[in-house]
Amino acid sequence: MMVDEVCLNEALLAGATEVFETMIFMDIRESMQQGQEASCESSSQDGAKQHLKGNTFLGPITFTGDMEGCLGICCSVSCARAIAQNMLGMAQTDELGEAEIADAIGEVANMVMGSFKSRVQETVGNLNVSIPTVVKGRSLDASVGENASRTVINVNIADEYAAELSLLYRQEKKREN
Amino acid sequence: MAKSIMIVDDSATMRKIIMKTVRAAELDIGETSEAGNGAEALEKLKASAVDIMLCDINMPEMTGPELVKKVRGLPSCAKTKIIMVSTETAQGIVDDVLKSGANGYITKPFTPEKFKEKLTPFLN
Repeated sequence: MMVDEVCLNEALLAGATEVFETMIFMDIRESMQQGQEASCESSSQDGAKQHLKGNTFLGPITFTGDMEGCLGICCSVSCARAIAQNMLGMAQTDELGEAEIADAIGEVANMVMGSFKSRVQETVGNLNVSIPTVVKGRSLDASVGENASRTVINVNIADEYAAELSLLYRQEKKREN
Repeated sequence: MAKSIMIVDDSATMRKIIMKTVRAAELDIGETSEAGNGAEALEKLKASAVDIMLCDINMPEMTGPELVKKVRGLPSCAKTKIIMVSTETAQGIVDDVLKSGANGYITKPFTPEKFKEKLTPFLN
């Protein structure tokens, strides 16, 4: 069965909400306001390529199986630091190295992927998830190549930070014998 | 009597979170140790067995199920309770892990209450 984008959007946001409420203790909501400053932008060019601006952390986690693709979380460095501090129960004034922040974002991506997967596996089928990797920099790109679809959800975290949840995917067509 | 516990996860963040959650759940835990991968966990277990091992599934080089099989091959760890802590919820994966020798399963994300509920049977 070909899954629709609305279903994936809902599962992605619900999965992220569950993780942020349970493990990060930060509110996450879909951004509705036009013109809100965001850390990331999405481009419709080149199929499913998304272009990320500013100094950001990008935490992609790939999957294969009945659907293949990449789930990503993108946010500013300050947002990532706040997420990591909250997960670890640290104060805002506590020092946290970049490696630790990246590790935390990787775990967030991992948990959001798991939560998303549990919501879509009956519809989508089997998904084999990789170990997440996290990068930091400017103008980061995530791509799964040609003929892939994408869904992007701009979110607001703790009424303070803009971030992006993304899903790049290509659904495997079952061959007829 | 307080139980000794080892946390095995390739993410340092997750190891700290699990430790924090175990403390928040007010479980009767004594000595704690950590390992960032399966090989490190095995070396530590060969030196000193623990009562409970909390173990991730998806880890590089040696997966959680592979580690479980090796731990079950250590006579000193015959009484060690192994609880998997993972984002994987597919029943097939859960069943395979339990068949490989794990005693229980906790899914991420989790709350202290969920941790307490899942771990308490193994503390008595």
